[in-house]
Amino acid sequence: MNAPLIRMEGIHKAFGPVSVLEGVDFELVAGEVHALMGENGAGKSTLMKILTGIYAPDAGRIEVDGQPVSISTPADAERYGIAIIHQELNLIPSLNIADNLFLGREMHRFGLLDRKAMRERAKEWLARIGLDALDPSTPIEKLSVGQQQMVEIARAIGQNARVIIMDEPTAALTERETATLFALIRELRTQGRGIVYVSHRMEEIFALCDRISVLRDGKFVGTRPVPGLDLDEVVRMMVGRTLEARFPKRTSVPGEVRLQVENIGDAAVHGVSFDLRAGEVLGVAGLMGAGRTELARLLFGIDKPSQGRVLLDGKTITPRSPSEAIHAGFGFVTEDRKALGLVLDMSLRENVSLPKVPAHAGLVDRSGEKKQTHGLIDRLKIRTRDMELDVRALSGGNQQKVVLAKWLALKPRVLILDEPTRGVDVGGKAEIYHIINQLAEQGVAILMISSELPEVLAMSDRILVMHEGHATALLNAATATQETIMHAATGGK
Amino acid sequence: MTARLTWSDAATLIQRLGSVIGLALLFIALSIMSPDFLSAGNLLTVLRQVSINALIAFGMTFVILAGGIDLSVGAILALSGAIGAGLMAAGYSMWLAVAAALGLGALLGVVNGVLVSWGRVAPFIATLGTMTLIRGLTLVYTDGRPISVTNNAFALLGDGYVAHLIPIPVVLMFVVFAVFAFLLRGTVFGRHVIAIGGNEEASRLSGVRIAPMKLAIYGVSGLASAFAGIVLTSRLHSAQATAGAGYELDAIAAVVLGGTSLSGGRGWLFGTLIGALLIGFLNNGLNLLGVSSFYQLVVKGIVILIAVLLDRR
Amino acid sequence: MRKLALIVAASLLAACSQQGPGESSTASSSTAGGAPASGTPTIGLALSTQDNPFFVELKDGAQKAAKDANVSLVVVDAQNDPARQISSVEDLIQKRVSVILLNPTDSSALAGAVQSANRANIPVITLDRAVDGADVASHIASDNIAGGKMAADFLASKLNGKGNIIELQGVAGTSAARDRGKGFDDQIAKTPGLKIVAQQPANFDRAQGMSVSENLLQANSNVQAVFAQNDEMALGAVRALDGAKRGNVLIVGFDGTPAGKDAVQSGSMAATVAQQPGDIGRLGVETAKKLIDKQPVEKTIAVPLKLLTKDAP
Repeated sequence: MNAPLIRMEGIHKAFGPVSVLEGVDFELVAGEVHALMGENGAGKSTLMKILTGIYAPDAGRIEVDGQPVSISTPADAERYGIAIIHQELNLIPSLNIADNLFLGREMHRFGLLDRKAMRERAKEWLARIGLDALDPSTPIEKLSVGQQQMVEIARAIGQNARVIIMDEPTAALTERETATLFALIRELRTQGRGIVYVSHRMEEIFALCDRISVLRDGKFVGTRPVPGLDLDEVVRMMVGRTLEARFPKRTSVPGEVRLQVENIGDAAVHGVSFDLRAGEVLGVAGLMGAGRTELARLLFGIDKPSQGRVLLDGKTITPRSPSEAIHAGFGFVTEDRKALGLVLDMSLRENVSLPKVPAHAGLVDRSGEKKQTHGLIDRLKIRTRDMELDVRALSGGNQQKVVLAKWLALKPRVLILDEPTRGVDVGGKAEIYHIINQLAEQGVAILMISSELPEVLAMSDRILVMHEGHATALLNAATATQETIMHAATGGK
Repeated sequence: MTARLTWSDAATLIQRLGSVIGLALLFIALSIMSPDFLSAGNLLTVLRQVSINALIAFGMTFVILAGGIDLSVGAILALSGAIGAGLMAAGYSMWLAVAAALGLGALLGVVNGVLVSWGRVAPFIATLGTMTLIRGLTLVYTDGRPISVTNNAFALLGDGYVAHLIPIPVVLMFVVFAVFAFLLRGTVFGRHVIAIGGNEEASRLSGVRIAPMKLAIYGVSGLASAFAGIVLTSRLHSAQATAGAGYELDAIAAVVLGGTSLSGGRGWLFGTLIGALLIGFLNNGLNLLGVSSFYQLVVKGIVILIAVLLDRR
Repeated sequence: MRKLALIVAASLLAACSQQGPGESSTASSSTAGGAPASGTPTIGLALSTQDNPFFVELKDGAQKAAKDANVSLVVVDAQNDPARQISSVEDLIQKRVSVILLNPTDSSALAGAVQSANRANIPVITLDRAVDGADVASHIASDNIAGGKMAADFLASKLNGKGNIIELQGVAGTSAARDRGKGFDDQIAKTPGLKIVAQQPANFDRAQGMSVSENLLQANSNVQAVFAQNDEMALGAVRALDGAKRGNVLIVGFDGTPAGKDAVQSGSMAATVAQQPGDIGRLGVETAKKLIDKQPVEKTIAVPLKLLTKDAP
């Protein structure tokens, strides 16, 4: 076998006194899909930023094709054929596909943009990854998230990238889009390119990857071939211990009906009805765009329903604004915590008390607020050195716990969770599941939207499946399977 | 709070203290360069000169913290001052005139808030519109002429001293500072101002009622401007139809120099006080040094640009 | 607690006064005012604005005279804002200049500042515009009433005693606008064939002079002459008449700024009543020097005007 495409050896990196990487090794050979795993904060993204020239390492060597190189700018990385597909896509929504593909390296003739040539070349690039059907003059904002990701990959390939780094590429994709992406990744593998695949989703990694490298607390734990590897082994490598169970068991039994939703709807939701008991977890499954988040927004008073009503403990309440919903006893853990859940520049303490600041006659009760925050930090095992720290500085899992803490402080009667574990590492997920169970045992009625079918199956009592704005099935979680859910979610009967 | 100081803490601290350090350096430099600078009389004079801009800037801080901007402050100052002076000229008591001016300022601010929240107009455009409108109303009301004030008690507000030493505008400035600082840090209202500026949508989904908050926030700014208008009218012994032209920019400069982010969500009122003092000492020092007013503008522009560059994230 | 606050407030109110630090009569006479003990004496010049060439010429005249008289001159500029001018005058007081030459932005707002200077034993000489309600050592200005008359006489002879005239007025309330208008209007009234068909303020500003002229010309087609109360407005009128292709209308300006003189030379303006701003500045400094040397000065000094035409530059 030839020299590996990439070899990183003994990489060290510190930011001030904080050491982020301590002697990390990583190797990528041509024609493999190599998973890079680790809990949030383990150093995966720092390692990839060093490989793509965004950070310079403090020590260590990088080889490309066996030759030692120095990658100090993103342009260097591009020259060595290394490209990264970011979690937040770097496309300009108002420009079309061709414009985005050639952004910064526009083709021109006599100083004028050569749109025709760019369109033709774009078509060629898109065809190379099986997107013949896409018109290069379509604006990016008209594309689905999955298609946008494909455009990014097309750009990387167009630039002759031999190493493609993908950071949580399936986070926002539907099942079908994920399948398309995987087919493309396998195709890229046979072309002899190397793919670094960063993800938290075990199922995907086992289905797709050839080898796994694990980082923990900035240290290199090891690289293992996927065949013959079991899940517990990977989890043990990541967290340094085996988790007793991925999904902790709940003992409580649902009580009285707390929430009745009758025929509620607007432009995106078409007459959905269900009821939810105290202490019950009702999972909501469906593909992207099935109307699940839109349903949650109706219940929480963010959007106004055009039909139907909501009853809480037998009384019609149908909230008209979030503040009304909160007043009635609702809590809503939003899917996009950075945009909708947190005020990143405020401290942990201030975020936790945002829905209800402990106060007397409008004056903030500082000591009461601190006590409340302390209690929630302990209860949710939020790892922070200080409640005055801006939440921007916390890891994804801890940020998600802060969003949960916000609503726990209010003691809600109905809690809506929208993708509560997205972007959270394995250890953090288990802790969040534990909190959900605790809340259910205390009698909170929980509506949990999730795209991870194992999570929905394990955590829910019943499962509401949606398809194109309609509720297509209400399943008993004990008897449901991934197949029955997918069947309903794709509109089957 | 732990005693450990990380790099990011240190960076935040330097960013926050930048304006204080800047003011200290300016202070030392002016003390060395101008023999007339470092005297109680001069320092109190500067404080009095600063008071008008500081009062406006205190109100502006709330608006900017909440992610908005208020260009109408100078116009509100002019109309409030004119109405106050007009009422006194018509024989009403000083207290009624002051109350009416303050009430009018707050009301005009609330109008800005209505346009921004319910009208969904960008704050820049909404307050640009009301600025022009209020300027026009001021000219209509005053017919373009100054309105003289002969009330001696009223003149004390701008010209008087407490204990023969501290100018009353300076005392008023510190009182308003204390009240507003408490409003910002000690009340639920203040907490929500910063939350809205940090992330309006997240605040709304956390149950913060955005529209009433914005009415109140712009109302506070209008109230502060009206207050400044009263003090200015008192100092000038007259209300000028064109008073306060360009004051909105000085107030915004004070807020930004103080380290409050123009995109909202980060900042403090103390910084605004420091920012206003920086501008005031700069004006005073350059005058004492005999620097031509043309170069004074150049220097001020450079200082503002440096402050904004340091504020980058 | 509340009682304590009341007592503090009451004692503060009792201590309030209009007398500031260092202004009690015994302290001031020995320290403030007069020339500093050593070095050349310093004169302060507070200009209303330097946007207008007239005031730049005034400043140049003053600076030249200061050099000749071996005194130093500190120039501050208010950018047409009375509040800023009060601050500048305060800065000059803090700098303990010997005399303040004040070119007020406005006749009413600066009275307090002049009183402050007087309390600090610094004499004030007003230039070009007067200050109402305060004592000044001397007032130096052009004889604007006579100038208005000169313009009226010139038009009467050029138009052979018959024609319609538009008048562009200066900033309302300023003595220059008042006096020039009075001199001109009274003299025109004495010639029955001449008629002022429209008069409107354009605030001594060229751009406003242009737009106001455009409007007035739209409304009055039969116009033979324009009298502008300064050259800047007259030059605005020139642009408006050019635009309207009305080359035959006579334009008379006032001030004799370099641009005005050029326009008279090129024929686009018929005449300008030239002030001697350089002389005003020079006389200001010379009068100030007399005060420093404890010599008597006249209460009002009229600076002569001169009608400039193409034939008699």
